[in-house]
Amino acid sequence: MIFDYIDSLGLRFVSAPLAFLGAVVVTFIIALLLTAMIPVFVGWADRKFAARIQSRYGPVYVGPFGLLQNFADIVKLLGKRFVSTNVDWLSFNFVPIALASASFIMVLLIPWGGPSLSLISVPYDLLFIYIALAVSPLLVLLAGWGENNKYSMIGGFRGAAQIATYEIVIIISIISVALLSGSYNLSGIVSSQGSLWYIFYLPVVFVVFFLAGLATMEREPFDMPEASQELQAGWKVEYSGIKYGLFLISDYVRLVIVAMLIVMLFFGGWLGLSFLPGIAWFWIKTFIVMVFLMVPRWVFARPRIDQFIRFGWNWLLPIAILNLIVAGLVVI
Amino acid sequence: MAAYFDLLSAKLGKAVSQAQSNNDNETLIVLSDKKLIKKAALEIKKKFDILFMLVVVDYKPRFELNYVFSSYSSKDILTLRVNIDEKDYSIDSISKIFDSANWEEREAYDLFGIKFNGHPDLRRILLPEDWPGHPMRKDFIVTDEVRNWTGLDLKF
Amino acid sequence: MEQKKSFRLNIGPVHPATHGVFKIVVDIDGDTIKRAQTEIGFLHRAKEKIAEARYFSNYYPIVDKLDYVSAINMEVLYASLVEKAADIKIPPRAAYIRTIMCEIQRIMSHLIFMGSFGEDVGNITSLVWTLRERELLMNIIEKISGGRLAPMYMTNGGSFYDFPDGISEDITKAIDKIEERINHEYQSFFLKNELFLKRTKGVAIIDQEMVKRLGITGPGMRAAGIKRDLRKDEPYLCYDKVDFDVPVSKDGDAYARFMMRVDEILQSIKIIRQALKDLPAGDYRIKTPWMMKIPPKYTFVRQETPRGEMAMYMVTNGDTKPYRLKIRSATFFNIRALEEALVGEKVADAVVTIASLDPVMGEVDR
Repeated sequence: MIFDYIDSLGLRFVSAPLAFLGAVVVTFIIALLLTAMIPVFVGWADRKFAARIQSRYGPVYVGPFGLLQNFADIVKLLGKRFVSTNVDWLSFNFVPIALASASFIMVLLIPWGGPSLSLISVPYDLLFIYIALAVSPLLVLLAGWGENNKYSMIGGFRGAAQIATYEIVIIISIISVALLSGSYNLSGIVSSQGSLWYIFYLPVVFVVFFLAGLATMEREPFDMPEASQELQAGWKVEYSGIKYGLFLISDYVRLVIVAMLIVMLFFGGWLGLSFLPGIAWFWIKTFIVMVFLMVPRWVFARPRIDQFIRFGWNWLLPIAILNLIVAGLVVI
Repeated sequence: MAAYFDLLSAKLGKAVSQAQSNNDNETLIVLSDKKLIKKAALEIKKKFDILFMLVVVDYKPRFELNYVFSSYSSKDILTLRVNIDEKDYSIDSISKIFDSANWEEREAYDLFGIKFNGHPDLRRILLPEDWPGHPMRKDFIVTDEVRNWTGLDLKF
Repeated sequence: MEQKKSFRLNIGPVHPATHGVFKIVVDIDGDTIKRAQTEIGFLHRAKEKIAEARYFSNYYPIVDKLDYVSAINMEVLYASLVEKAADIKIPPRAAYIRTIMCEIQRIMSHLIFMGSFGEDVGNITSLVWTLRERELLMNIIEKISGGRLAPMYMTNGGSFYDFPDGISEDITKAIDKIEERINHEYQSFFLKNELFLKRTKGVAIIDQEMVKRLGITGPGMRAAGIKRDLRKDEPYLCYDKVDFDVPVSKDGDAYARFMMRVDEILQSIKIIRQALKDLPAGDYRIKTPWMMKIPPKYTFVRQETPRGEMAMYMVTNGDTKPYRLKIRSATFFNIRALEEALVGEKVADAVVTIASLDPVMGEVDR
């Protein structure tokens, strides 16, 4: 949408191919800035929040209220050396770039708080975003193998198994929502929630999606692939410098994307009472959801990988499928 | 206290003798022949659960081994004192009888160089495998070899 | 292509979950451990050899670093050993001071255990919380002795300083707060937390047979159902004058070992309260010569430290220095259980198992 707007703006001054090229460049710069800014500010909120739970202060020195701490961290990562040896060069270097690109694509596609606020509009943007989310198990496996380290190997296997399990749950939850709304377009899904949010139709699917979202994001307590106590950092163990920074960025981007998806799929997106504009409603809801996504990290112990995968296959998946059937019957 | 001594002397006869101990609850028994250690340990196993500690004292050139046994059900401890002389720094291992003796014997081997015959896994435990000498001996001298020791040569 | 059933993973010696420098080599089939081998000695600092070169009153700074998480217990053990060998009778006030300090240190050690155990299960917040509570007691130790981690408070014949004025109110306030936290916050954080229970119940069972075979002592032994506590069975200091229970469990799993420590904290709080109430007036130490000679004798002392029964065996030969000092470390025996307890567990539980034994490598390697 924003792309189209810039394109039409450019057409007033220059010829069509040039305007198109210019629009691509400008859109990509905006997306890049967004991708880079998310870890800075969401990461700050995450760290501050964790600090309050643990009766600490959290970041205070860099910027007002320590707001720029993560910025400083990423700059620091840029200056660091890569220390890994004996790695498979191609897979080792490919994974961080691919993961960062996946988050970049998600940033491009998702509507940032309004039907016309996505950078590029695609009819089936929900599916595209899902694909960008779902590409990670392969990459995790590749990274775990390419690092030539036993810890990363175990981490890679765990990650692939876990994410593969929960991606299925996520797609089935998404299908139930799409079935109700009759659309794979995020704006369409939001606008069909005008009368009642889908959380009231599909409360169980919401819980399932929430848990599966936590699992695919590999946030604690479901961070078995990178369990910092037993596997140090799992499949990330050999990465250093900005290659690790790219993981950090993609982690936070995925946190924001999952929170936004939850808001748009279940909480009516930018719909709300009229005394505030839609975009404000959207971001208020997103931040509340984000807080709920952050809390489990600091209060729960980490389950074992076999327990967790068994939980996914034995409980979450059947529940999700059952809900899909019920939703289908309701629609028919 | 004398009960433990009677138990042992019934089996081992003249080889054991009781000595005066200055710790409460402790029975101190001196075993004169180191070849009988396994037999004595088998007898002690009937009353005591674990080898509490193994104290090696270096009265150069001979060593004095104090096996301290303890039990989970009583507060008594039994010390069995054995001497080994400079002719042969070795003694039968009792780790088959008292599993808790396993690491204590390894430690004694590591720090004093006493060989325990029949030990299932007699390796150095606290020091690196190629450490020169046995440092807890009184005649251990810090030579240049020790001073310049840098560790194992690792091969990749 | 050669097919391998299992692969070998080296956990440690610089792995954060090994609580120091401790190496464990595990053979893994999938995610299950088939064989485990422990390796120690990375923190060997020749403490027994150093003892042979130090006067009896000069060894306290070294003994502090034995088990650096519970330094006072180590000091009291060594002080009791020297006093027994030299026939020094400490005044009653000194005995009470030592009892109180021992129990404060025990609470601190168990708090560290709770925190690091929770952290190894995957919950970082627990470590921050328990360190916060430990800080209350750390400040008290600092107020009393001037030191924090290695306070160097004990000396032959008593302690270096008397309790400062008003310290008993400070201690009471701190232990009240800790008791309240354990009964409320920690209950909901650990014991009512479903994920925590799932990770710890039934994990790494060390049963009575294994305890008796390997010589395991301390909370690990009591978790297996053997009711034995040297404070109760062979009372030293003034443990025979205070009233407390010995918590025992039957299960022998990681959860039981965790619970033993939680219960022991509550019992220690009980002991401190009584000891503070009965704290007699009088001398806090009797003067002993800095350089004293101890006649030839074999002295044996054992006490209950937070990690189990620790003992020292000293051989003297009439000189100003010990001829031989042997330290029996509880964890040295406890840690052997890993070789058996880990078989059949998952890799993730290996970390929990190590943490549940609460090893401090300074004590193991000496």
